[in-house]
Amino acid sequence: MAFPTSPAPAAPTPAARPLAQPAEPKGWLGLLFMAPSLVFITGLFLIPLGMTLWMSLHNWPLLGRVKFIGLANYAELAHDMQLWHSLGFTLLYTVLVTAAIMAVALPLALLVDRPLRLAGLFRTVYFMPVVIGFGAASTLWMWLLNPDSGVFAQLLRGAGLVDSAPRPLESFWPALGVIILMVVWKTAGFTMVILLTGLQAIPADVIEAAKIDGASVFSRFRRITLPLMRNSLLLALVLNVTSSMLAFDQFFIITQGGPSNSTISAVFSIYLASFSSYRLGYGAAMSFVLLVVLVAISSVQLAFLRQRPEES
Amino acid sequence: MLKIRWALAALSLAASTALASTSAHATDVTLWVRTSSGAVLQGLADHYNAKHSDKITVTQITAEQMVPKLGAAIAGGEPPDGAVLDLIYLPTFAAAEGLEDITEFAKSRSYFQAMSPSHIRLATYGDKIYGVPALPDASIIAYNTDLFQKAGLDPNKAPASLEEIAADAKKITALGNETYGFYFVANSGSWLIYDFLPHLWAAGADILSEDGRTATVDTPAFRETVAAYRDMQKAGAIHPTSRSGNGNNAVEAFASGKVGVLMTGSYIVNLLTSKYPDVKFAVAPIPGPKGGVSSFAGGDTLAVMKGISEEKKKVLLDFVDFYMSPEEQVYITKESGMPSRTDLAADAYASFDKRNLVAYDVLSKARTPYTFSSDELFVSRTGPFLNLIQGTIFGDDVDGAIKKAQEDFTKILERTNP
Repeated sequence: MAFPTSPAPAAPTPAARPLAQPAEPKGWLGLLFMAPSLVFITGLFLIPLGMTLWMSLHNWPLLGRVKFIGLANYAELAHDMQLWHSLGFTLLYTVLVTAAIMAVALPLALLVDRPLRLAGLFRTVYFMPVVIGFGAASTLWMWLLNPDSGVFAQLLRGAGLVDSAPRPLESFWPALGVIILMVVWKTAGFTMVILLTGLQAIPADVIEAAKIDGASVFSRFRRITLPLMRNSLLLALVLNVTSSMLAFDQFFIITQGGPSNSTISAVFSIYLASFSSYRLGYGAAMSFVLLVVLVAISSVQLAFLRQRPEES
Repeated sequence: MLKIRWALAALSLAASTALASTSAHATDVTLWVRTSSGAVLQGLADHYNAKHSDKITVTQITAEQMVPKLGAAIAGGEPPDGAVLDLIYLPTFAAAEGLEDITEFAKSRSYFQAMSPSHIRLATYGDKIYGVPALPDASIIAYNTDLFQKAGLDPNKAPASLEEIAADAKKITALGNETYGFYFVANSGSWLIYDFLPHLWAAGADILSEDGRTATVDTPAFRETVAAYRDMQKAGAIHPTSRSGNGNNAVEAFASGKVGVLMTGSYIVNLLTSKYPDVKFAVAPIPGPKGGVSSFAGGDTLAVMKGISEEKKKVLLDFVDFYMSPEEQVYITKESGMPSRTDLAADAYASFDKRNLVAYDVLSKARTPYTFSSDELFVSRTGPFLNLIQGTIFGDDVDGAIKKAQEDFTKILERTNP
């Protein structure tokens, strides 16, 4: 309850602050404020990262003795066709699924942005799948897609659209297609909300002015809406690309890597090395390589994000 | 705040002393069990707990997660006290020094000679025994005698070879009305070793060598087996769910009366008679491509984890003696179709379906691959064995699939042989 009221009394402080500035900057106080997050970052990121690096230099079976082997895991990675294939597949998936999510989420955001009475209901409806866990959603779809007892097969057969139940998981493109469909259903609502915040930040008077100037719906969208929501678009893009690069559940549960190992994502191949081959050291080396790839991709995206559009 | 903390401290102190005092007369023992065997083991544990002050707590673990979870628990120093494992994993855990040597216990049992030989072979590593049979089973075929009759086949004579099965399957498929001659679970490694490898064994061939250290994929027996499967696949005689099936629908599909021959296991007899009494079926051993029979000796082995206290070890081994008693053996036979002891067949089967005896009799010819990397080679859905079967039966390039599998087998074996 304190929050909404605080901005008003706080208003005069910006003017007062420059006067208080000369006091020496209290370095230790800053450190103190940072300490909690430093503890978190150290405990949950830096230490595990160090352990991963350390493990990646070893032959580290799940059962049995650990042996230091230097960079041998990384040397093997370079020739591991399965890993490069799965990285390539992950990139393909990322491009397709990100495009599909954007293509669905942007129209959705535009639709629910209208001041209709039912807009709130639709926002909720579109957002609902987001609150399901990815593993649960994948299991749900695995059963929906089941050719013998799944809902989709029954519906399609009942409607007389197909003679025999479709079996999309038996070949590559149909399998990838249903996964993308499932991910769009599951995550488009989240992207919609991000885009909606961008849409709602656009001042109404700008649009109004454009209307008065006689700009058409399309050119208003093209020249005003899109440029002004650039930041939320980029944010949605970064989030989608990162989570798609780390895709695992949907492939682990629905396609199980098949048909003939063609839908093994990068994280899935780390899982296989670690928990099917039980080579934790090799899995750690793969994780590290994936981290480097991800950091590279994200830094390119963040560079774009940093170029802020000039605001008038 | 302080008060609450004190109260909590007092409470936890009380709780810990209460625990300490109960453990003085009763020992609580944890036992990990794979899900498919969960119900039977839970039943046995309930019987045991009702009669003893010691307590067996059964935790069910999904079959494919047993090795990673148990491995992680051992590495983390918090393993359960015992585990009822798929017998194929015994060499892996024994070689990794995760199990307690129970040679003395096993050999001193009056029923030692009656323990399933395949279970003991797999539980033996370096002349020591690391486990005793819990639940055995054997892979067999089940065939629908109604459909055999309708297709003009003799329902009293089981197909003597895989090629005969293929011919029968095509005739049954010709009955139409979405009837299929043949169903096998092709998208699960554990099902495939269970139901596919016996074809090769029946013909005197194998993929892995006796010691599990080398692999030969390309054998005449393998080519003939694959040819018979491809023949059926081309004729549309294989149930469409076989290819992507993981076993979930297999029994239901057979029970629906629209599948001629199902590759399955010994448990099917009691499952069908209790849940689907209307299905008319017979069972038979798994034939080779041109003849001969074999089976996969599967099931579970109870192993004691290394380093548990003498007290707990005593309770676990007492539990073994308990479930090996004739009375509990009858219960096991009722629930899972086969007793753990081979000398109690007459008692155990007396009140049950005689078709159970088919699997029991074939056990002497049944085998199990002795391997240190079962998961990576056979069980994994991305492993070389599953891709070999999928590629050779449903794919276009048989030679390519065989060559790739041979390379992958060799590579994995070179790395994992202890």
